[in-house]
Amino acid sequence: MTSPASLLQSKVWRRFGAAASTTLIFLLAGTGPAEAQKKISLLTWNIPVYKEKIDGWIADFKQLHPDVQVEWLDKKGTEWATFYQTQVVGGAAPDIIDVQGALWLEYAANGGLVDLTPYLAREPQLRDWYNAKFLATWVYEGKQYLVPFYISKTLLFMNRTMMQEAGLTRPPKSFDEMLDYARKMTKGERSGFLTLNFDWLYWPLFAMNGVELLTHDGKRAAFNTPAAVKTVEALAKATADGVINKVSWTGRWVEPNGAFSSGTVGLYQAHAPAFFYVRGAGKWVNRDTLGIAQMPGGFSTPNSHGLGISKTSKYPDLAWEFIKLATNEKWAYTFGTTLNNLTGTKADTKILEHFKKEDPLAAEVLNTQLEGLDKLVGVWPQARDAQIKEAFYSELQAAVLGRKKPADALAEAERKVNRVLQQR
Amino acid sequence: MTYARRRGSGFVWLFLAPSLLVFALYRIIPLGWNAVLSVERWSPFRPASFAGLDHYEEMFFHDEVFWRSLWNTVVFMTSAPIAIALALGVALLVNAPIRGRALYRAAIFLSYPLMPVAVGIIWRWLYDEKVGLINYGLISAGLISRGIPFLESFEWAMLAVIVAAVWQILGFFMVILLAGLQSIPRELHEAAAIDGAGRAQRIGRITLPLLRPAIFLCLIIGIINSFTSFDLIYVMTRGGPNYATELLITYIYRAAFTLTRFDYAAALTVVLFVFLLALTWLANRASGGEAGAVEAAE
Repeated sequence: MTSPASLLQSKVWRRFGAAASTTLIFLLAGTGPAEAQKKISLLTWNIPVYKEKIDGWIADFKQLHPDVQVEWLDKKGTEWATFYQTQVVGGAAPDIIDVQGALWLEYAANGGLVDLTPYLAREPQLRDWYNAKFLATWVYEGKQYLVPFYISKTLLFMNRTMMQEAGLTRPPKSFDEMLDYARKMTKGERSGFLTLNFDWLYWPLFAMNGVELLTHDGKRAAFNTPAAVKTVEALAKATADGVINKVSWTGRWVEPNGAFSSGTVGLYQAHAPAFFYVRGAGKWVNRDTLGIAQMPGGFSTPNSHGLGISKTSKYPDLAWEFIKLATNEKWAYTFGTTLNNLTGTKADTKILEHFKKEDPLAAEVLNTQLEGLDKLVGVWPQARDAQIKEAFYSELQAAVLGRKKPADALAEAERKVNRVLQQR
Repeated sequence: MTYARRRGSGFVWLFLAPSLLVFALYRIIPLGWNAVLSVERWSPFRPASFAGLDHYEEMFFHDEVFWRSLWNTVVFMTSAPIAIALALGVALLVNAPIRGRALYRAAIFLSYPLMPVAVGIIWRWLYDEKVGLINYGLISAGLISRGIPFLESFEWAMLAVIVAAVWQILGFFMVILLAGLQSIPRELHEAAAIDGAGRAQRIGRITLPLLRPAIFLCLIIGIINSFTSFDLIYVMTRGGPNYATELLITYIYRAAFTLTRFDYAAALTVVLFVFLLALTWLANRASGGEAGAVEAAE
């Protein structure tokens, strides 16, 4: 006769055996309960404050695709590239990425991103939905790799109070006039000009002097010219005299914004998002005291965010569906009005209308982002963009901070850039 | 070998096995993989191809940033002897029978448990050109008329980060040296004093020679620390301005994650490894070749 204890034991073993067999079957079949659902992941760039709305994207997406699970990850700008690259190496790259500046070029050039050209070709109305000029900034070797998520480009902010004190009434019209304005506003703790300089944001200073970075075929450096030497000499002298704030050459974002918001800088070349930081930190900023203009010559460098799909994505079509949803009219408008940005889509008209009513000064700033799009500079599709940038900027920085003669620095930069371009 | 000895040896390996396994997984295998990577052309997005010694050639003959970062690393290493000298002075002070010495010891040690990132942020604020306490003090004292942009200046940036590094490690060195000081028998000092030795002579002839192991330990820790001070530099200057504070370790990071040149970063890492190995060997020689040796119990 079986004792109750041994009966219980045999029941436990039986259940255990059943559970183990089920697990084994699922494992062998490769379709565990959790794997029955498809999953895509989204990596965004420092927008944790937007969580509620991203949950909204996901909820909308789930309605269309109930069988798909969406995972959202967000990383700070300083951590983003490190995180993404390690995920790629680990074979777990997020399906959809929100990437800033020129980082995408390296990924695209090495086959790390999905070519979106066929997707856009299939839906011409969608192609028209995106701003063509911004769309063109994400083309590499004829292929479209990203679509706009939110856009920005550089412009010139002016401290009108300092300008009036120096007897200046209108925006500068040339490089020389801009430095002349800056010199007039420089006094004691005050400096006349400041620029953001990460990525290629400082390039309008060269573009307005007719300097090109590379030859038309993109195979050789083209910047070592008398005009470039003169430009760097002028920048170095202005920096040495305190006319250009030295923070300009640090490559940071917060510190230059802080300097301009303190009210001690006359002219500030920065991208539109800087405005919201400056206004938040500087009590002096209002429609009477802050002037907004394009840089002399109308040149500007974009610094936008695009959405793309990792080549390793198991579900690129689903990822594309998600991108379409995140950039549709409803969500583009929500994004623009919530985070004070334009989106590089047709929703921008409505976003600008919103700001004209609610925040006219912000509307003025944002309006500049859609002007002069035929004079976007600093967007050369080079796979080794980061290395070229490093090679050029390290020498420029040495020259403007007085460590090297401008002519020597540019000659050395030319040698370095050409070496990068010749690397296999 | 006797059976008992073999059995004992087997036990030693058995107990060591888990640690060795972890060590192999997290140190030896990555090190090997890194060495392989250094002779390949590889990025996360494309398959590897053999590059031979191309990266090393570029590093030694064409990359001035490598040489600068190597030199900066050597300069930054001076923070170790500076910190040891200061820590010794402080240890001698707080070892003296003064009131509230426990409080002083605790206050000086406090900087050590702080995270390097926090130390970097604190010092960045202290050095700030406009609102930094250091510039405020210097201007108030009439020593300068305008704030110095310490971390943006070629002349000051390296010194500025060395000061921060010294400040952080000072408390730790003080504790080690204090323990060393307290282990010196008081009778030696008393006997020397009776023989007519002055304070300076006693420090030079008794304290310093007997503190040699503690100083040596501090030196090794300090040197290793200076090679791995990534967080502090990254937070304070990111290696700038214009590589003025770029160390080999920050350059490796820049090469890998900013320039997406993992293969080149691997070659830089091999050089750093060899450099560290050479230093360790030298240190071992300097200590009589027995550093880290443990006598097995019979």
